[in-house]
Amino acid sequence: MAKLTANTAKAMARELYGYELSDESAAEVAAAAGAMITRSRKLGNLDLSGVQPPFGYPTLIAEAERIRKRG
Amino acid sequence: MANPSPLLDFDVAALAQKLRAKEISPVELTEAYLDRIEAVDERIASYITVTADAARAMARDAEKEIAGGKWRGPFHGVPIGLKDLCYTKGVLTTGGSKILGEFVPNHDSTVWTRLSAAGAVLLGKLNLHEFAYGATTNNPHWGACRNPYDLERIPGGSSGGSGAAIVARTAAATIGTDTGGSIRIPAACCGCVGLKQTWSRVSRYGVMPLSDSLDHTGPITRTARDAALMLNVIAGYDPNDATSSREPVPDYTGRLGGDLKGMRVGVIRELNTGISPPVARAFAAAQKQLTSLGAAVEEVSIPSLVEGALVTMVVLMAEALEFHEQWIRERPGDYGADVRSLIETSMTITAVNYIRAQRERNLMLAEALNALQDHAVLLAPSQATAAPKIGDGSYDMIANMVRFTGPFNATGQPVVSIPTGLSDEGLPLSMQIIGKPFDEVAVLQVADAYERARGPLPLPKI
Repeated sequence: MAKLTANTAKAMARELYGYELSDESAAEVAAAAGAMITRSRKLGNLDLSGVQPPFGYPTLIAEAERIRKRG
Repeated sequence: MANPSPLLDFDVAALAQKLRAKEISPVELTEAYLDRIEAVDERIASYITVTADAARAMARDAEKEIAGGKWRGPFHGVPIGLKDLCYTKGVLTTGGSKILGEFVPNHDSTVWTRLSAAGAVLLGKLNLHEFAYGATTNNPHWGACRNPYDLERIPGGSSGGSGAAIVARTAAATIGTDTGGSIRIPAACCGCVGLKQTWSRVSRYGVMPLSDSLDHTGPITRTARDAALMLNVIAGYDPNDATSSREPVPDYTGRLGGDLKGMRVGVIRELNTGISPPVARAFAAAQKQLTSLGAAVEEVSIPSLVEGALVTMVVLMAEALEFHEQWIRERPGDYGADVRSLIETSMTITAVNYIRAQRERNLMLAEALNALQDHAVLLAPSQATAAPKIGDGSYDMIANMVRFTGPFNATGQPVVSIPTGLSDEGLPLSMQIIGKPFDEVAVLQVADAYERARGPLPLPKI
């Protein structure tokens, strides 16, 4: 399993999000995130070449229009 | 305790007939529901806010209109509840949280705008897992919602209040939301019907987000027909929600009432494992029932669903963190411990994995569409077991619940969870019927036919 220490979890939360994890929370996050990171490595092994993310330009246009009309 | 009013026995379809024929009045019906809430809701906590006076006023308006010949449709005068994630103008909308514990929106959600225009009577705002971010509805701020079949067990979540209200008869129909299973899990735990329709079929305007690309808002009801009636009201393009679909809205009751002759149904192999014996037995019996209705039932394989829960959780957690980032920094102590822990863990999800998970959704849907080339609908259990006990820290929600429901948030397909029976302990068991995008008609057709053949299930003794 990916090794994420409580200290690393604390540093990530502090530096990336300005958020202070308690010692207890940092240990919990390290354990849960370690498992998740290990499983997420499977996503890196998938053949996703040529597969688009489901972000559609029509939605971007529609939302921009809604914001424009809202003023 | 007085026996519950017989008016509570009618589903929405039956109520529509009786209300339109003036056999019963919306006022007496609403009063019966308010009496029921007062009699039982202290024990199950399905509501956060009961809007009794407003409900009575809406009921009087409905009565006047119906008496004057103005009929708005099947929900005219019908008392319903809304998950307290859905904005209601001038009415407390908490998201099940302490952080929004005093929030009163200045506009309605589109789902309520449409149900209100259809003449529905709002009984109140239903309990949920805090910010919809969990599957137990063990809410630390507004009270643990309890399963009416066994008050020591969860009603599921996050729309636990919506599911409990249906079987406890504290609402005739309800609205829930579903991001990883939050309509279907409470429907399964509580023994009622939960419809997560196609993503974008129902507007999300005015519904607090958990994960924008996975959130759905939909019905939790007594029957498949009631779910179809509700979807008729709430479905359709909304200019306030740029992601809502312009796909035409059919009559979702159009193919109800028939059999399943000639229909091919695929049982998803990858989700027919790791289930308890009672769930397996009930699921097998349901498949036999579908065969007796004329369907051809066979196994199909969708290999990418094995990692479906992971894909869903990576997307869900990253998007939820974005929504909660400011609050978690400013008010971490105002979150329940479980929700705070999920938000904190999300801080370790990388952008690369988020994008990969988003792309993987396409592959999952492609495989599902492949299976649906030759099959009208697919089947899977709704969860691995019946509802666990409240506070059971050893129960694995991901393995036992999200594994079955989450993949179809990622693919956005329409899914209905429908009860298949009760376990030996008297707890509801359920299955999912999954369709092609925007083919709720087929999903509801199968659900309705199965439900009528199965027959009614015993209600909880509450």
